Amino acid sequence: MAKYILQRLISVIPTLIGVTLVIFLFQRLIPGDPAVAMLGEHATEENVARIREQFGLNRPAFLDRDALVEGDLPGFFDSQYVRYFNRLLQFDLGDSIHRRIPVAETLKERFPATLELALLSMFFALLIGIPVGIASASRRNSWLDGTTMIGSLLGVSIPIFWLGIMEIMLFSVFLKWLPSGSRLSPGVSITPITNLLLLDSLLTGNFAGFWDAFKHIIMPAVALATIPTAIITRMTRSSMLDVLQEDYIRTAAAKGLSERVVLYRHALKNAFLPVITIIGIQVGTLLAGAVLTETIFSWPGIGKWVYDSILGRDYPIVQGVTLLIAVIFLFVNLLVDISYALLDPRISYD
Amino acid sequence: MKRKTVFTVFGLLIVFSMLLAACAKTGTEAPAAPATEVPAAPATEEPAAPATEEPAAPTKDTFIFGRGADSVQLDPSIVTDGESFRVTGQVLDSLYKFDQGTTNPVPALAECTANEDATVWSCKLLEGVKFHDGTDFNADAVIFNFERWRFTTHPNHYASQVFEYYEAMWGGFDDASIITEVKKVDDYNLQFVLSSPMAPFLANLAMDMFAISSPTAIQKAGEAYGTPAGGCVGTGPYKFVSWQEGTEITLVSNEDYWGEKPKVKNVIVRVIPDDSARFLALRAGDIDALEQAVVEDLATAEADPNLQILTRPGLNTSYLAFNFKIKEFQDVRVREAVAHAIDIEGLISNFFGKYGTVAKNLLPVGMLGYNDSIDYWEYNPELSKSLLADAGFPNGLSEVTIAEDVQDADGNVVYTAGQVIPLRLYYMPVTRFYFPSAKEVGEGIAANLTAAGFNVELYLEGDWPTYLGSRRNGLLMGLYLLGWGGDNGDPDNFTGYFFGSGTEPIKREGWYQNAELAAILQEAVTLPDPAERAKLYSQAEQIMHDEVMRIWLGHNNTPLILSAKVQGYTPQPVGAENFEYVFFSN
Repeated sequence: MAKYILQRLISVIPTLIGVTLVIFLFQRLIPGDPAVAMLGEHATEENVARIREQFGLNRPAFLDRDALVEGDLPGFFDSQYVRYFNRLLQFDLGDSIHRRIPVAETLKERFPATLELALLSMFFALLIGIPVGIASASRRNSWLDGTTMIGSLLGVSIPIFWLGIMEIMLFSVFLKWLPSGSRLSPGVSITPITNLLLLDSLLTGNFAGFWDAFKHIIMPAVALATIPTAIITRMTRSSMLDVLQEDYIRTAAAKGLSERVVLYRHALKNAFLPVITIIGIQVGTLLAGAVLTETIFSWPGIGKWVYDSILGRDYPIVQGVTLLIAVIFLFVNLLVDISYALLDPRISYD
Repeated sequence: MKRKTVFTVFGLLIVFSMLLAACAKTGTEAPAAPATEVPAAPATEEPAAPATEEPAAPTKDTFIFGRGADSVQLDPSIVTDGESFRVTGQVLDSLYKFDQGTTNPVPALAECTANEDATVWSCKLLEGVKFHDGTDFNADAVIFNFERWRFTTHPNHYASQVFEYYEAMWGGFDDASIITEVKKVDDYNLQFVLSSPMAPFLANLAMDMFAISSPTAIQKAGEAYGTPAGGCVGTGPYKFVSWQEGTEITLVSNEDYWGEKPKVKNVIVRVIPDDSARFLALRAGDIDALEQAVVEDLATAEADPNLQILTRPGLNTSYLAFNFKIKEFQDVRVREAVAHAIDIEGLISNFFGKYGTVAKNLLPVGMLGYNDSIDYWEYNPELSKSLLADAGFPNGLSEVTIAEDVQDADGNVVYTAGQVIPLRLYYMPVTRFYFPSAKEVGEGIAANLTAAGFNVELYLEGDWPTYLGSRRNGLLMGLYLLGWGGDNGDPDNFTGYFFGSGTEPIKREGWYQNAELAAILQEAVTLPDPAERAKLYSQAEQIMHDEVMRIWLGHNNTPLILSAKVQGYTPQPVGAENFEYVFFSN
């Protein structure tokens, strides 16, 4: 197993290099210049040139053919990508072109916000999706099953921005129970440890802070959780249905085992493999797909930030965030693969 | 072993969920304790709040302003976005300021008088004023700021920073600067020596970008001055407290302020990117004021007694421009035909709503040099058709010819002389304060033009940076929509900025060239007498109108929606609004 994990970890490296290349290439295929995006209607020739020079945007994206023709070998390699990659090797994601502050610094503050939201959403999705999926499969074609199916269909198809606005309308404007956005109320502070506010407030025993943070996160987390909940419910149900048809389940039932034991001990574990796969994919989707939720609930995470950065052609931010999401995605998928072996003794990676 | 791990994880999940539920319970019992400074949700209606909320809201001492985007930086000299100035305008003072609700520069940190030919301005500084870091405001501080902006060799003029406004308003850096020297007379007296007379001198001094920062703070923070970590330090009515990126900036009142003391203790400027969510936050009482609202929400706000709408005078102009590299557009009859083809009044009333007014000058209504004797373009498609016929296009115009080769920024020829391309109308891919619904206006204009014999192709060039980039390189090859918002209330900031360099074809302005107009504008900026300047700018407007060099569409007033309890808020036509006058009624 250890060998397998090591192999997988090593294979991550070329994948990540590939990711940086693709992001780099695609960003530069979009027309529009960061300097112009930054300077707007006021842009003068000199200032555009200066910004381009400052951030190395006047260099070729990958390799400088002209320099090679002139026999200037260092010049040949002196490209935007090589410069970026060099800094990356030193764990430096570069500076934001618009803000001129290190991408890593902002990432440190914003990523935990997205992570916290994604984790809580995933928690909600698992909490609801798995039990409901099991219940629905074990009572196939009952009213519960029908309701679940309709509910999950709605869950996948309701637009998040609409749901979010409706939540705010109901709980903030009319009932005035929950705040309409952001992470904390003015005047409330939580000593940062991980920057995951729910966790930090518990660690520091700040229960008032926890309650305030919880009131802020609940609406966005529910909005973000709808799609994964629906998908996990449907996946659990269909996977359970498959397994419940198996001979060994009939045998178990024939042996006189209680329904609970049959369902949870015999069926669920085997039904869980495809569900785990889906969960792994959903983690990535949650991280990358939080743009809408973050925009509506003014949640200071990476989703809205990277969206604005794409529009503003702030290349280093887009590169940094995409790379981070890629790393997490790879890592989660590695965990998923490892968990296969834990769940199914027939699978062995040795 | 392995099986156990999975189930342990599940067990933990369940325990965590119980914990959440338990904490939620304890929370409801305890009052929302830490929100002592600010009531979490000021009940705008009757106190139908749940019993767990604090019973009577204490006097509100925090003004929360909601906006669509975060500030870029809090060092106003290196940014151009209004969201940065909205905050720095509270923390930093300039030597002059714009009087409440007007574009008149009035003394703030200094009072200046000019010599006879307006090349030397002597300024008396306020005495006894301190920066928020406790250091003195004096002549040395002013000189430090001006020298930092001007000299590219100054230790605090960093290469990564672009002091765009210094360059734009004061002629350039180093030796190109119109301010050739800022001379210290004594601690509280100094002189600005100019290379040539400059009419908008005081208006320029009043701009948010030329606000005075504490030299000590700049030296201490270095390149980090103005970042979330560095903040900004000035002499203004509010002090910088904190900046949570992408969320909010918190300010606290400066009890030692030299001017009128701020009425509200705390100011929070909060980012709520979504227009509808921002409006709902206002209705929920989470914020007290906002800018940028969709038309539907404005209608709701008008009907809501808990809200009020204020409008910021529209110091901006939206327009339809011609690319003069197109041969057909070089004929004034074709341009005039376009002008008569468009129902400008109908478009403005439909798409700008009641916050827009029809434009007939580049200058906004009421600005120095505004030429009221110019007529609005008559909407007359028949006249358009006959003008087109006169120009040699009796069957209308659906294709145009490139007059000369056009190159892109890298020198590649993109359009060749004689090339025939479809007649395009480029519309802006975004909403701007001067253009509420650019796409819809574009569609309206296209429909109008088609009815008058111009068969236009509505063209999307790409997203906003792409559009701006193409415009900058003169590559929007057809008719295109754009606009401009003023920075200091001076006509030079409009007409001069656009066409002052028109002795050569101006790439950025659709290759327009007019040496006569350029000469007038270059003279107008140096005249000390406002009446004489007005005459020249007025003359410039007449030339632009007679030439039909562009078709001015509208001026847009920006609506702001505030809680009805907010008092003392005056929208400023230019520069940041002054939050120190804001207070709450009960």
